[in-house]
Amino acid sequence: MSLTRFLPTPSDRMGILWSLLPIANTVVLEYGPAGTTHFSMGLFGELGENQENHLFTTHMSEDDVVMGDTKRLEDAILEIDHNLSPKVIFVVTSSVAAVIGSDIKGVCSYMQQKVKAKLVPFEQGGFRGDYSSGIKESFTQLVREIVIDNPKPQKDIFNLIGFSMGSYRALSDRNEIEYLLKRAFDLNIGACLCGETNIENIENMGGGVVNLVLRDEGKEAAELLKQRFGTKYVLRTPYGYKGTLNWLNEISQAIDKPINQDFLDEINERINDTAYYPMHTMMLKKDKPFVVLIGEYERIIGIGSFLNDMGFSNQLKLCLHNLKNITNPDDSVVFYKNEGDRLNAVKNLHRTLILGDDPTMSVCQKDNVFLRISMPVVRGAQISKHLPLVGIRGADFITETLEEYLQMLK
Amino acid sequence: MDKGNEIISRLVKLKDITSSKDIKGLTAAMFPGTHCPLMGAAMAIRGIKDAVLLVVGTDECTYYTKHMTLHSEDFGGMGGRCVSAVLDSTDVTFGCKKMLDRAVDEMVQEYAPQAVFIVTTCVVEIIGDDTDAMADGYTEKYGIPFVSVHTEHFKCENHIPGIERTITACFDFMEETEKNNSVNIIGQRLGRFEDTELFKVLSENNIEIGMQLPCGCTVDEIKRASRAKMNIILNPIGLPLAKKMKAKFGTPYIFFDKFTNPDKIIKVYEELFEALEMSVPQKIYEMYTKAKNTVQEVSKQLEGITYIYGNTPFDCMEFNQFMVKLGMKPEIIQTVSVEPERDKEYLEDILANANPYVTKTANIAPLQYLYDIIKPNLYLGHEFAARLRKKGISVVRSDSASGMLGFEITEFISKELLRAANESRELKKEIAV
Repeated sequence: MSLTRFLPTPSDRMGILWSLLPIANTVVLEYGPAGTTHFSMGLFGELGENQENHLFTTHMSEDDVVMGDTKRLEDAILEIDHNLSPKVIFVVTSSVAAVIGSDIKGVCSYMQQKVKAKLVPFEQGGFRGDYSSGIKESFTQLVREIVIDNPKPQKDIFNLIGFSMGSYRALSDRNEIEYLLKRAFDLNIGACLCGETNIENIENMGGGVVNLVLRDEGKEAAELLKQRFGTKYVLRTPYGYKGTLNWLNEISQAIDKPINQDFLDEINERINDTAYYPMHTMMLKKDKPFVVLIGEYERIIGIGSFLNDMGFSNQLKLCLHNLKNITNPDDSVVFYKNEGDRLNAVKNLHRTLILGDDPTMSVCQKDNVFLRISMPVVRGAQISKHLPLVGIRGADFITETLEEYLQMLK
Repeated sequence: MDKGNEIISRLVKLKDITSSKDIKGLTAAMFPGTHCPLMGAAMAIRGIKDAVLLVVGTDECTYYTKHMTLHSEDFGGMGGRCVSAVLDSTDVTFGCKKMLDRAVDEMVQEYAPQAVFIVTTCVVEIIGDDTDAMADGYTEKYGIPFVSVHTEHFKCENHIPGIERTITACFDFMEETEKNNSVNIIGQRLGRFEDTELFKVLSENNIEIGMQLPCGCTVDEIKRASRAKMNIILNPIGLPLAKKMKAKFGTPYIFFDKFTNPDKIIKVYEELFEALEMSVPQKIYEMYTKAKNTVQEVSKQLEGITYIYGNTPFDCMEFNQFMVKLGMKPEIIQTVSVEPERDKEYLEDILANANPYVTKTANIAPLQYLYDIIKPNLYLGHEFAARLRKKGISVVRSDSASGMLGFEITEFISKELLRAANESRELKKEIAV
């Protein structure tokens, strides 16, 4: 690595924390210096995560670091179990505890017999990859540790896996997905790994009719559920009009149920309404459209595919996280470890449609058209829960910016 | 035993404290926990206008520090002068020098700083990289001052040492210069010195203000800080630097904290003007009389008001002594530091009238178990106001005193205590109904 001018890619530990915090009836206990926990409150608050009575720290003193004393952690586990009676306590290692080699798994193992709550350790201290590794570990561990063997069968329930509170417009996307599944198949959401959800829904995940996996990091968890319960899964995120329809068709096959005809007609109408878009780009005499997509892997692949359908095939895709958790990543996607390389790739572009994050877009020339599709949010805030980037409404929203770009091109 | 009484049974009382080590936390699991010294260092560097903050640490520590500065005009916002050198597992294993060399080279080229604070975090301190030596090497290579500030949180309680170490590190920039009649202002953590009563007093008496560290200065002003006739230290965080400057440059200093007691404030004004070799202006005595009258007036209505002390911009023990003298009664004091010898002049008065429980700061979660047992009128500090109102407790808001010094503090806090006490009386009546 070299100089980081803006925000670094969040670590595996940060991904674990924002994945575990929205699970009701659980507590996240950090074993490490208190300042990190306090410092994290601003970010988690921005992501819409409630920390009160969900997040605690033990703090660590020099003695704990030098002598490897874990008494603080033991006391904190006993105390939380006694005072709050959560169903699960997630014990998360800090970078300090990871570097000194604290045996968190061992502590949880011998403390388990003293408490009613289930103890689930996470030993990633921020050095096993970026948040992509962290959220993958959360999805997989939750399925391994929490899902029960004999769940209640739930014929009208789907589970969402691969959801991340750290994604831009996450809650809006979730609402759109719930809307699509309700309209298309009259299905309701069960567990959401990992957004606002509760531990009972996760325990009963094996009873759902299908698992919808929004990103590759959730595939391992879905495979585990398939092995244990035979539950089929669909790995895709519904971007664009055709993309949404294809996704619904895959779900239809998986659950052996047709898409509601009225809803299918509505989607096909939107596809027909926008079928002429590729003509626009063919009519351009001077400019050649160019699109840069900056963000999480599934998002830039998904929106890239949608824009390709709309006639904008000349694209540069820059992923903001490591690709090591992506099975066979697309050759068109580039990940720069050094921030400077990423900024250099975009800072001299002109008359380009740039869909990305605030920091990267801040170094670009002004004569481009911009749309924020990725975290972090620096300008303004993320408040709405009804402005998705996925589904039909997401496609409508992106198309509006496409229109703005077309108005610029000659 | 219920949770509240169980927590209280573990706490120590003020009279029994022999040193800060006796102070226990309310619980082992804390929320939100204290701020870390890394944040303190960032707060201090914010005020040094042309210096760059280079954080060396994990993705997480660097992320949160930059996140804190994103909307700070002083730092320059998103593209501003808070940057990072992020450690990966290779750096942890083999040391961070190579990575830091690259980062520093890019930073110097792009930001052209006048000085650089290399702020190291917990992991760098554990792996033992010698960033002091690296900083010396960069100073020599690039011809601008680099200093290393160490901010490992496992060795201290909160963010204050981070501010103190940053301020003290500035001593390395200072050069011997010809003396003039200015005074330096050292240790104002928040707010603008120009907005304070003390600033007005100095200006009206034609005292030139020199370096203001860390509330607003340039690297060049720090370099020339030794020209001042005197240092005015506004907080204990400024004392280590003041002592170093006195030893090397012979610069005397006086300690002018955010005192609340008017008798204490008049004393420091008198010390200040004596050091300036000037007589105390009549206006100061008029302010003193006015503050005394205000105190006398409010004390009639504050008699018997009970409180939990959380955190305020003031000196904890001095302010508690002030409130006890107003007739108020502390039930719990949250602080990380009580030293009977150091705090003697305050403790005598407090203990003559009360013997509160003492516990560590920044752990508001378990306080909810204590409110029904303690039943205080007031909470001083940051808590969820709506939660407290339901218990008949009013929050005393003192953050705006961060930018005050002198008798204005007495006037402000006396009125705020009175407002909150009246509010609490009303809330308790509502609850009774």
